[in-house]
Amino acid sequence: MQAIRVENLSKTFQVKRKEKGMKGSIQAIFHPQMEEVKAVDGVSFTVEEGEILAFIGPNGAGKSTTIKMLTGILYPDGGRVEVLGIDPTKKRKQLAYNIGTVFGQKEQLWTHLTPYDNFLFFSAIYDIPDKEAKERIGELAERFELGAFINTPVRNLSLGQRIRCEIVASLIHKPRVLFLDEPTIGLDPVVKEMIRSLIRQMNEELHTTIFLTSHDVGDIEKLCRRIIIVNAGKIVLDDSMEHLRNKDLADTPLENIIMKIYKSEERGAVL
Amino acid sequence: MRKYAVIYRSVFMENLQYAANIAMGFAGYFVFIYIFIRLWDYIYQTPEELIAGYTKEQMIWYVMMTEMIWFASNSSSVARNVTADIRGGNIAYLMNKPYHYTLYILTKYTGEWSIRLPMYAGLAVVIGMLMVGPVPRFHIIRLPVMILCIILGITINAVFKLCISLFSFWIEDATPFQWLYDKLILVVGTIFPIEIFPEFLQPFFKLTPIYTVCYGPAKLIVDFDTGKCVEILSAQILYLAAGCGLMFLVYRKGVKKLYVNGG
Repeated sequence: MQAIRVENLSKTFQVKRKEKGMKGSIQAIFHPQMEEVKAVDGVSFTVEEGEILAFIGPNGAGKSTTIKMLTGILYPDGGRVEVLGIDPTKKRKQLAYNIGTVFGQKEQLWTHLTPYDNFLFFSAIYDIPDKEAKERIGELAERFELGAFINTPVRNLSLGQRIRCEIVASLIHKPRVLFLDEPTIGLDPVVKEMIRSLIRQMNEELHTTIFLTSHDVGDIEKLCRRIIIVNAGKIVLDDSMEHLRNKDLADTPLENIIMKIYKSEERGAVL
Repeated sequence: MRKYAVIYRSVFMENLQYAANIAMGFAGYFVFIYIFIRLWDYIYQTPEELIAGYTKEQMIWYVMMTEMIWFASNSSSVARNVTADIRGGNIAYLMNKPYHYTLYILTKYTGEWSIRLPMYAGLAVVIGMLMVGPVPRFHIIRLPVMILCIILGITINAVFKLCISLFSFWIEDATPFQWLYDKLILVVGTIFPIEIFPEFLQPFFKLTPIYTVCYGPAKLIVDFDTGKCVEILSAQILYLAAGCGLMFLVYRKGVKKLYVNGG
């Protein structure tokens, strides 16, 4: 079954432009100039349930905009999106019960509360009964090894501990699709490896579909079976990791392959 | 409803830690009230004199009550924070949960003022009893309806401030409009009762939120009248319904215009 279906998805932003200096600033007041920027331009792909997909691209490629359209935060200008058969633009609340999101650069936990209180808070937000929530928290705390700091206010946790708690908070309602936006950013290699192992475990045991964006090649290599690369709002590569590492490129580090794709507009120029 | 109760409890727990910070604001309230006590002492020539239908005690208690509401409900949650959320893109991380963003903000705000209001009420009663004397013709039996009226007033104010903030979906910055709204509420209805203003302006003020936010609750406290009480409560219910309708409409339209920086 398809977890995500995207057809010809587009999103354009109006961006203000102004000439440099004071003169430009004054001119912009009376004659504001707007420029259209195509953040996502006719993107189509599908993701099967239980798949781990790397959705990567250089900064400004349209990755986060795509995730935000998939989660119902942004409204597309064109095309169609379905996540678990739900249109995010029409039923964002219904979709929210079935998906989880982790943004590595943005904390969703309440910093003055302990992780345990945060998990209870998120359980209530997702309408999980207290008894069931406590069982689920116990189970996740054990799996993610949170015991030592589950009762410490979030503001006093290290980044690695916080990210583990962020992931647990996003799993509390057993989402079928998990969107991870740079979940390992800023983490040391040991914690990174731990997070990857937990994501893999979650995918294997719970069959959770993982939609991952990351600039860390290690995340992609160690977790994903398929990779989509976007650049300037368009898909420039959609392939399995196995195919990407074809015999001609077997000795080339994945980082170098990705870098070449980023620099070129067309896949054919590289592969 | 359970989820909003949990949001309320979390904010309440957070704000309890800052009770000492809230108490720091007492100095500002005291200075404000002291100036007005001196001002009205000077303006009223005799204790029996009536100005715009208010005795000196009523006038001072009126200002103390409206300022209590003003100080207790003064929070950036429904104003600057919402504008910043929309402009900075933080709203993206708040609206992908199964709750309504506007109700989430209002619940957070309620968690904030429900600590501050009893603290400021206590201070107002102490200052008032020591410097002015008891509220004329006050009966404890009317207290529940007065509290209800204050709560409705604070909520209506929050709903309208939130509506203004939501215009940030279309305009760069809604803060100047917040400033105008705040000053209007402060000058008309908070510092001075509506009756002080020229008669031709009074019907206009009664058609604005000013009538229901500060003036209504304070008027009931200093000069209770059953007919007036029904009139104010009815106006509050109407304003709350209209304000909520406007808030949901603006949010529904505005969220489609959302532009999130950095994707």
